[in-house]
Order: sequence, then C-alpha cells, then structure tokens
Amino acid sequence: MFLLSICQWVDSTRLNAVLRQSNWAFPALDVIHTLGIVLVAGTIMLVDFRLLGLALRNVPIKQIVGRIVPATLWGFGLMLVSGGLLFASEAVKMYYSPAFRIKVIMLALAGLNALIFHRTIYRDVANWDPASVAPSRARLAGMLSLIFWIAIIAAGRAIAYGPGYDLG
Amino acid sequence: MMFAAFLWAAALFPAFKWLQHSFLGETIRHSATLIATLEIVHLIGLALLIGSILMVDLSLLGLGIGGQPVGRVARELNRFTMTGLAIMLVSGPLILTSEAERCYKTPAFWVKMALLSIALVFHFTVHRRVTLAEPPAARPDSRLVAGVSLALWLGVALAGKGIAIFQPA
Repeated sequence: MFLLSICQWVDSTRLNAVLRQSNWAFPALDVIHTLGIVLVAGTIMLVDFRLLGLALRNVPIKQIVGRIVPATLWGFGLMLVSGGLLFASEAVKMYYSPAFRIKVIMLALAGLNALIFHRTIYRDVANWDPASVAPSRARLAGMLSLIFWIAIIAAGRAIAYGPGYDLG
Repeated sequence: MMFAAFLWAAALFPAFKWLQHSFLGETIRHSATLIATLEIVHLIGLALLIGSILMVDLSLLGLGIGGQPVGRVARELNRFTMTGLAIMLVSGPLILTSEAERCYKTPAFWVKMALLSIALVFHFTVHRRVTLAEPPAARPDSRLVAGVSLALWLGVALAGKGIAIFQPA
C-alpha cells in the first residue's frame, strides 16, 4: 500500500502530466534508455568475459576496468535518468507490472554484486591479475553479473508485454 | 532501369506479405512470448555488437584499453562482434516475419536496412583494414573511421527503435 501511494503521488505530479502530454517525450526517453542499457550491458559483459577468462586474456583486468567502466557508468547514468523519467510517466502502471519489480530487484542484485566485487576481491587485484585464471570469487562475480544484466534486459523488454500495454 | 525498379518494387510487397503469412510468421505473430523472447535475444546481440565495436573504436580514437595496440583489441573482440551480429541476423529476420507488412510500410525499417547494409560493408572493408593493420594504424584517418563506424551502428540501433515508435499511417 505504501508503494502504491508513492506511485499514485508520482502520477499526480506536474512532471507526470508534462511527460504524458508530450508526443515525443516517451519515445525519446525510450530511445535513450535502450541505448543506455545497451552501452551498460555491452561494456560490462566484456569485463565479465575477461573475469571468466573468455576475452582479452592478455590484458590486465585493472586496465580493462579502468578503461571500460567509465563508459559503463556513462551508460548507467543515461539509463537511470531516462528510466526514472519513464517511470514517472506511468508509475501506477509499473506498480502493477511484475516484470518491473523483477527488473528493479535484478538491478539491485547487479549493483550489490558489483559493490561486493569492488570492495572485496578487486581490492587485491594486483596480486591475482598476472595469473592466467582469475580467482573463483572473481569468476563468480563475472558470471553473476552476466546473468543479472541479461535478466535486466529481459525483464525490461517484458514490461511492455505486461498489464496495461496494447500490443496491437 | 525504371522497369527493373518497378519489377523490384512490385515483387517486394508480395514477398513481405508471403513472409508474414508463412507458417513461421503466423506462429511468431500469434505468440507474445515468442516475440518478446526474440526481441530480448535481439537486444542482447545488439549489446554484444555495440559493446565490442565501441571498445575497438575507442581504441582507434586513442581512448583504448591501457596501451594495448588496436590490432590486438580488435582481434580479441572480433568474436564477440561476430557472435552479436550472428544473434541479430538470426533473431532480426524472425521478428520481421511476424510483422513484415507493417515493416514494409514503415520508413524507419528501410532506413535501418540501408544503414545496416552500409555499416556491414564499412565494417568488413575500411574498418577491418584499419583495425587489423600491421603495423598498427596510427594514421590520422583512423579517428574518422572510428567516428563513422560508431555513427553507423548508432544509426542502425536508433532506426531499429524507430520501427517500434513510428507506426505507418
């Protein structure tokens, strides 16, 4: 009920009205959001493949993370801002969308996984970077990240197939 | 020339129509689950393709992965680009069969196909020659190649999104 009342409040704001009344706001945000997620998933997957030993094996992980993660964060910023606005344009509908809930949970798990990775095993990266195989905890983080991001894309796409949308 | 163009145009719509009414098209069209699944797979393919090409193009722009030569990055990431491309080239036409008639009437679809053709030709000729050059391409035009490559693939992605947004009148 608490969440529902927040969603109802969002739908009653001026921002919601502005987004809804515009013909191009939703499609434009949708495009930015898709590009953002493609950027995030596309770059993070390369880091994950490296952790799993499937790509760029000769390049130190520290260098890959140093170069790729800024692009990932840019994508994430785009995704977060556009996603927040998309949500603000139809909050109550999202309250009733199971796919949206799954997506938010998966996002949280992906974030938590990245946080734990950076706070624990990655602190020690200088010690294990030269090894040909990353430690199992790093490989696990890579595997989980791949799974979470694919799930985020899947759940995000599934929102449009849930309650409240006309498939035409 | 005109006659050939006329023949081509006349043959194309029936082909799209046939595609949509084929067993495959009908099956996919009537299953929201199948369409959604194909779209998800298509997006994951796009992420792989764009992510790996972005990394190579950033290398070309001099923003690459710490001191690694462009050629090595390109060679290492080539299979991800190819995997992404393969995923898209399988899932894309399957999605098309489910709404071929609508796509035929949507300009964004034709813009996407045109950009895709140019992007593919560019990728396998100019882009490939520059990224896999031995010794590594340090030519001033490598930045231009990276810019064109990024613009083309971004255009393909945007036009793809446009197919869903712009419904034919």
